[in-house]
Amino acid sequence: MQLVEKIVKGERAAIAKAITLVESSKENDKKESRKLISELLNKPGKSIRIGFSGPPGVGKSTFIESFGRYLVEKNYKLGILAIDPSSQITGGSILGDKTRMIEISKNPNTFIRSTPSRGSLGGISLGTREASIILDAAGYDFIFIETVGVGQSETMATNLVDIFSLIVGPGSGDELQGIKKGITEYADIFIVNKNDGDLKSEASKTASDYKSAISYYKKSSDVADKEVLLVSAIEQTGMEKVIETIQNIVLQNKKNKNFDERRAKQFTYWIEEEVREIIQFSIQNKIKEDGSISKFSQKVMDGEIQMFDAIEAITQNLQNK
Amino acid sequence: MKTKNSEKYTKWQKSFERETKIDLSEASSDTDEGIKIKPVYTKADIENLSFVDNDSLPGQLPYTRGPKASMYTNRPWTIRQYAGFSTAEESNEFYKKNLKSGQKGLSVAFDLPTHRGYDSDDDLVMGDVGKAGVAIDTVEDMKILFNDIPLDQMSVSMTMNGAVLPVLSSFVVAGEEQNVNKNLLSGTIQNDILKEFMVRNTYIYPPDPSMKIVADIIEFTSKEMPKFNSISISGYHMQEAGADNVLELAYTLADGMEYVRAALSKGLDIDDFAPRLSFFFAIGTDFFMEIAKLRAARTLWYKIMKDFGAKNEKSMILRTHCQTSGVSLTEKDPYNNIIRTSYEALSAILGGTQSLHTNSFDEAIALPTDESARIARNTQLILQNETGVTNTVDPLAGSYFIESLTDELSKKAWEIIEEIESLGGMTKAVKAGVPKLKIEESATKKQAKVDSGSRVVVGVNKFKNPKEPKVDVRVIDNNKVRDDQIKKINDIKASRNQKAVDESLAKLVAAAKEDSNLLACSIDAIKNRATVGEVSKALEQVYGRHFATSLSVSGVYGKHFEGDEDYMNVAKKVNIFEEENGRRPRVLIVKMGQDGHDRGAKIVATSFADMGFDVDMGPLFQSPKDVAKDAIENDVHAIGVSTLAAGHKTLVPELMKSLKKIDPNSKIVVFVGGVIPEQDYDFLYENNISAIFGPGSNIIESAETVIDLISDKIHKNN
Ligand code: B12
Ligand SMILES: Nc1nc2c(ncn2[C@@H]2O[C@H](COP(=O)(O)OP(=O)(O)O)[C@@H](O)[C@H]2O)c(=O)[nH]1
Ligand SMILES: [Mg+2]
Repeated sequence: MQLVEKIVKGERAAIAKAITLVESSKENDKKESRKLISELLNKPGKSIRIGFSGPPGVGKSTFIESFGRYLVEKNYKLGILAIDPSSQITGGSILGDKTRMIEISKNPNTFIRSTPSRGSLGGISLGTREASIILDAAGYDFIFIETVGVGQSETMATNLVDIFSLIVGPGSGDELQGIKKGITEYADIFIVNKNDGDLKSEASKTASDYKSAISYYKKSSDVADKEVLLVSAIEQTGMEKVIETIQNIVLQNKKNKNFDERRAKQFTYWIEEEVREIIQFSIQNKIKEDGSISKFSQKVMDGEIQMFDAIEAITQNLQNK
Repeated sequence: MKTKNSEKYTKWQKSFERETKIDLSEASSDTDEGIKIKPVYTKADIENLSFVDNDSLPGQLPYTRGPKASMYTNRPWTIRQYAGFSTAEESNEFYKKNLKSGQKGLSVAFDLPTHRGYDSDDDLVMGDVGKAGVAIDTVEDMKILFNDIPLDQMSVSMTMNGAVLPVLSSFVVAGEEQNVNKNLLSGTIQNDILKEFMVRNTYIYPPDPSMKIVADIIEFTSKEMPKFNSISISGYHMQEAGADNVLELAYTLADGMEYVRAALSKGLDIDDFAPRLSFFFAIGTDFFMEIAKLRAARTLWYKIMKDFGAKNEKSMILRTHCQTSGVSLTEKDPYNNIIRTSYEALSAILGGTQSLHTNSFDEAIALPTDESARIARNTQLILQNETGVTNTVDPLAGSYFIESLTDELSKKAWEIIEEIESLGGMTKAVKAGVPKLKIEESATKKQAKVDSGSRVVVGVNKFKNPKEPKVDVRVIDNNKVRDDQIKKINDIKASRNQKAVDESLAKLVAAAKEDSNLLACSIDAIKNRATVGEVSKALEQVYGRHFATSLSVSGVYGKHFEGDEDYMNVAKKVNIFEEENGRRPRVLIVKMGQDGHDRGAKIVATSFADMGFDVDMGPLFQSPKDVAKDAIENDVHAIGVSTLAAGHKTLVPELMKSLKKIDPNSKIVVFVGGVIPEQDYDFLYENNISAIFGPGSNIIESAETVIDLISDKIHKNN
């Protein structure tokens, strides 16, 4: 396939077209997308995939600009997938993340793609995993995924990335009490942003709140420790510590095999997901053709048969097809 | 009084309802400001006013009726036309001609590179040199600009905000080298940075250091330049960007309060600088509202300054310049603009402005020609000499309607001012982006009214001229201007004392670091022939350059069209497109070069998104190369270039080249919107532009054209 070669060579337009393909909602495109991805999986790159989640307005995009600038100066190649939460009722959206990534978007060593979140409520969108496989094959050192999906940190962490980081703003520490285990459990790094100007003391306080919150987790020798970091995206401070932490976590997790195990689990999960989707799709078709649901519900309403017996009969029926 | 009137009033009401068949309570007209204008006003309407004092006289507090007792009966307002283009040489010729023909004061329009602190030889400004104003790179240019214009006699207003330090310095040094001491210079420097962040977009540094610069200039001028207005607090740009009159009034006065505080923080006494604060408002087509606005502005400023503890009467008096509204003028049937401008000018006069700019009829096409500028100027000369409007001060005082409207505007504006104050003042509000977004919302609503036809614009959405006239346009060859400027820069750099330049720039940087007054240091650097760009860059080392993050309104446009057939039709096309293509039509809307006119781009973006498009919004000031990268990485179907500052003939071909360079097979549809003279259409089509949307374009129709063009392209490729 010509497209694969172009992607591996790093041709910008080819990468972009491939991402469009894996994001497409058309059945035909989905088939092609599967073909493409299976070929690309044979040409893995060396990317580290990092998720940046957090509520709107905490400065995720600004942080990525700031941290990204720091990385490209060190000659790393950076792929960015920004899932923009701004979709509207009408379905359209204004994708404005790039207005916060001005400097890095000019750099030839970056590839920045925004994707409207579409119904998925600000979480990861259709095709994000596939898009990161494309960028990996294209030779990017880091792949950043920006999402709003705080509530979906589990999916994000278990599905998609090697390191999951949560970005929070000053003052959000108070909410910690109310938040269920989810976030603190799945995040590898907590980044407290806006550590500047008037917000500095509040930011420090937030950081210590997070520190004490994670201290409840028992340290385990198989997984790198969770870290809480203070940064200012606007003043570009604290970036060195972020890269150091990332590199440490990667190193440690690679050493203790956690890194590969995580990726292996993600594969298992992915396969399960695909299987489920295919079965669901075929079941849906069967239900449509079969028509026994409406037949039996009429019988239930007419009192000819009990509801749960009907359900069993329908299921039997469909399974035998 | 109401009781006394009541019998007559009841009778009137009956007649009114009989004639109109409308219940009086439903007969009011809603203005953009959310004010209900009643069919009739009576004495009862001016009985319990909150801000207006019905008995006050001109030149007396609260100055509602004018800053001076005699107003135009003694001296008419100053005819001050805003102009500048190409090189200093050409602008100087133009100024001299205008002064001979009856203009009284000068008002300099700088080009966008100068505004943004770039020299003409900077790669970032390739398409912008001399295009939308005059290029000033060094004090030598400034001297040429005022050649044969004695600066001790001519009052000069300069619209400069971002690069205010090097430009004001150049003016001071140009004066000195004409043998005019700075204490004799008269005029105004705009120096109003807050509205740059809100709407005008020629900022350079972040808000905090920018405010420091404003305060430095107020401090310096209050001590050294007693005849010079240190700031022109401007609402004009807000209205031009779509703000209604209440927003314009409230934000302008709130800005004023912030500047007063900034100056006070320097340890100045309020009465030392407040008399040199001046204002600037836009005058749109809502005739009475505009009159009331100027009266309300004076009334409120008096209150504000009294509350600040000013003692000198001059500190409490609001003096203002006005400009008729450019955004009310149309590209279609452009001679109508002469009429619009005349009414707006009359409004400004009845409101009591101190000076006035009237727009040319080719406003929505290009910079004025000699001929269109002459007509614009004559509009004022006719008002001054033929109509008798100068014979009576504040002739509308006592009008039930005007007085009541003045009070109502004051009240509404005051509410917003208090809101801003409770947020901690305008700098904070601006950083949070609230005023900017409110103005964008107001602009989007106005556009929806015009596009839906609920607001009539003659010649645009009704009463169209079947035979559009051809008009001449001023053409500026920016490549030639750029070459000329570069040559001058190189000559100066070759002949100046480089060591002195370096030392004075180092001193400037040091001053910025230790937070001392920057204007004196900047004057030294400019005297040593440092360029505008060098001075700006020196400070950039300390302060950094500001990049705006932009928020967008959503749903405001669409809400206006619930159930509208054309609108639904486009939305349906978008849905079909998604089904066929597996994603929505995706359009990247961009601004290239130094053009900061973002209103059209933003309105179009939010409206397209409402109709179901995925819209990528590029940041301001992109280069064609950056746009191409952005477009290709996001695999957009189309790029919409919004261009208003005449850079299109340089920047659009560059974009097409850059696209091909990254992707020789690029299928991206490119179209252009904004201010494009018809004379340039063929040039753009030859460069593979698929469509052009000029001023006044209906956005729903534009969206339909765009989706059709995209679909065509896809079908052709399959
Ligand atoms: C409003 C305005 C301003 C505002 C801008 C506010 C803002 N944030 O945008 C203010 C007051 C700040 C301003 C300042 C200046 N302005 Co001005 N401004 C105008 C004005 C009066 C109206 C523009 C406008 O906003 N119209 C309303 C919007 C909705 O319309 P629009 O942008 O045309 O968009 C419509 C269509 O064109 C089309 N469209 C536009 N873009 C796109 C994109 C897509 C994708 C699509 C589909 C359609 C589309 O659809 C839209 C809806 O109908 C024009 C004259 C005029 N009447 O056009 C001058 C004008 C553009 N300005 C001009 C100049 C010179 C300046 C200054 C450079 C002056 C100076 N030397 O200091 C400054 C600097 C501004 C800067 N940073 O760039 C000149 C440019 C000269 C030229 N082209 O040759 C003009 C033409 C006036 C003139 N004749 O002198 N300005
Ligand atoms: N003070 C401060 N403000 C920041 C910082 N980072 C981002 N912001 C501001 O926070 C707002 C939201 O930023 P953005 O990156 O769009 O947030 P996102 O929605 O999480 O992607 C913007 O106004 C930024 O200027 C920071 O480090 N310090
Ligand atoms: Mg973001």
